[in-house]
Amino acid sequence: MKILVLNSGSSSVKFQVVETDLERMNAHQDLTLAVGLVEKIGLSDSRLVLEIVDRKPYQDYREILEHRTAIEWVLRILADPEHGILESVEEIGAVGHRMVHGGEEFASSVLIDPEVVQKIEACSVLAPLHNPPNLRGYYAAHAALPEVPHVAVFDTAFHQTMPAHAFLYGIPFQLYRKHHLRKYGFHGTSHRFVAFRGCQILGWEREEKKLITIHLGNGCSLAAIDHGRSIDTSMGFTPLEGLIMGTRSGDMDPAIIPWLMAMEELTLHQVNTMMNKHSGLYGVSGVSSDMRELLEARAAGNARADVAFRMFCYRIKKYLAAYAAAMGGIDAVFFTGGIGENSPDVREAALTGLEFMGIVLHRDRNAGLVGGEGEISTDESGVRAMVVPTNEERTIARDVVRVLNGIMPTFEPPETIT
Amino acid sequence: MSWELHRVVIVGAGMMGRSLATRIAQEGINVYLKEVSTETVQACKLELEQSLDHEIARFGLTTSEKKAILSRISWVTQFDCATDCDLAVEAVQEDFGLKRRTLRELDRRMPAEHPIVINTSTLSITELAAQNTCPERIVGMHFLYPVTTTRVVEVVRGQLTSDEIYEKAIEFARLLGKVPIKVFEMPGFVTTRVVLPLINEAIHVVMEGVADAAEVDLALKLGFDFRSGPLEWADRTGLDRVLNWMQHIYHESGEPRFRPCPLLKRLVRAGLLGAKTGRGFFEYDANRRRTDRLPDDKPGLA
Repeated sequence: MKILVLNSGSSSVKFQVVETDLERMNAHQDLTLAVGLVEKIGLSDSRLVLEIVDRKPYQDYREILEHRTAIEWVLRILADPEHGILESVEEIGAVGHRMVHGGEEFASSVLIDPEVVQKIEACSVLAPLHNPPNLRGYYAAHAALPEVPHVAVFDTAFHQTMPAHAFLYGIPFQLYRKHHLRKYGFHGTSHRFVAFRGCQILGWEREEKKLITIHLGNGCSLAAIDHGRSIDTSMGFTPLEGLIMGTRSGDMDPAIIPWLMAMEELTLHQVNTMMNKHSGLYGVSGVSSDMRELLEARAAGNARADVAFRMFCYRIKKYLAAYAAAMGGIDAVFFTGGIGENSPDVREAALTGLEFMGIVLHRDRNAGLVGGEGEISTDESGVRAMVVPTNEERTIARDVVRVLNGIMPTFEPPETIT
Repeated sequence: MSWELHRVVIVGAGMMGRSLATRIAQEGINVYLKEVSTETVQACKLELEQSLDHEIARFGLTTSEKKAILSRISWVTQFDCATDCDLAVEAVQEDFGLKRRTLRELDRRMPAEHPIVINTSTLSITELAAQNTCPERIVGMHFLYPVTTTRVVEVVRGQLTSDEIYEKAIEFARLLGKVPIKVFEMPGFVTTRVVLPLINEAIHVVMEGVADAAEVDLALKLGFDFRSGPLEWADRTGLDRVLNWMQHIYHESGEPRFRPCPLLKRLVRAGLLGAKTGRGFFEYDANRRRTDRLPDDKPGLA
């Protein structure tokens, strides 16, 4: 079945067409037929890019004012005799939508109906920048393809299995009750896929193993996956918590915020953008938020680039050991995301020194693995370390198949605390 | 939005015009910023870049956001650009004749259904609109400086403003993330009318020697949680502008409570206009930072 996967942001729509079904999933033979995006929605110079295997990328510019016209444009191009890949849009059997925040309402991917829409809207208060555009994408796609099923896949759902002692913050309980203020975690689709795929390569049953997945991209997070269930993850109520990222601070003493606001007379907006856009690798190094540029500066002897790099890797190492402790052991570590897949330096610095917990890095294997799938630990290593490129769109497409076949697992919380 | 807004022209690239242009450009809308000459354009351009750099230093903006903002602002010295704009805002000085001439230039060039916004705190929208060919498309919006962060705008209905145009102004306010306060035309509307007597009274307190300027500001800041004291606010706004507003409201209303304090007049006559001249009630450097010693307002931070 051909599935349209949509990831709708405030001014962009990313899309893929994935050919998959139960058989292809089991054989890991899903096909990505087309990848593309529409950007600068709402402006007069919106751009559509479409990439199809073995063809030159196609580009077009026009004025696209809202998501509805953007998605109509995407469908028209996909069915275009010259540039497209479909005979007609009727070939699309279903649509999968990435939704950022499912709150405590959604512990699974679901078929979208009016009640589901209402619940997603209610979650918007938790992700005011993300959920509304996700929904706009859904409304637009539903208007264009009203006959096919639409499925919502949430970034947060996979982490709903966390126990209360992992997801609650040590602040007054009534704030959790009143605002659902707790750790949710993000990148759930990626952590899930990588855990699945890593175990598939190793010939393991995911339900028997203790895994740590490390997603290092623009945003960075780890997940502790114990017997197939996420029991902890480093991002929190928002994607700001946890690891140091390109421009985000990650963990810090929360008392810094009110102190800075008073001392420097910063506004809420200023202190918020300080932590989200002026911090992390960029804020510490003053060089760049891009790991490649940071590594170049470090190689050239830039001391702040070096300390930013060390902070980044040190924080990963601390979380790794913490999550191994949380699970009472560890069988494998999987790296993914732009940095995780392409930076042997980061992987080496993060894993070196963890031999005491059974992780032994194979330096040459690690150094030689850039942008592919494979093992980076020695044959003797008690813990297997691997690089597993992520594919969130494929997971979304597979979830569509699972939901339609009634085999979508639910990531049930182990307990509810009221 | 029920209407399409692609291009806005702002006449006058002073503090208010630049701040408004920045806010509009942040929404991805193209802005023409009109000044009188290439020399003033150069000066205003520099000031805009400096204020964006300042906001970057305060973490409120990133360098790529600055680039995006500047790329959406086109600087012009002629009114011709108004012909293909969906909305115009005049942000020239608070001077009746100058504002009226500006309106006439815009009115002549823009299609009748496009709103023309007067940015004033004290002048009469009705009177300014009266001599135009389409007075019903003229509406008042009193933005408060800095437009980038101040969350309120007073949307002013003149006697002849049409419902349709008024609604467009409300939508424009919401697009910019502002809470619109609907007001009918009356000098000072809400914000200026209430804040001016407060400033005036603070100046009286200083003149009478009850407390010095810094202590007056500190008391009000800490007592009522103001972000800045009324005297510093007046300094930053420009004492000449404050005096101008006050005289205008005083003349319009005839109410003695709006009579400007003699000390304010004296400072303006002496050319001590506040932050822009380096001295008013307080002292400032070229970057408008206070240079006088601030009283200790942060005791007990542990």
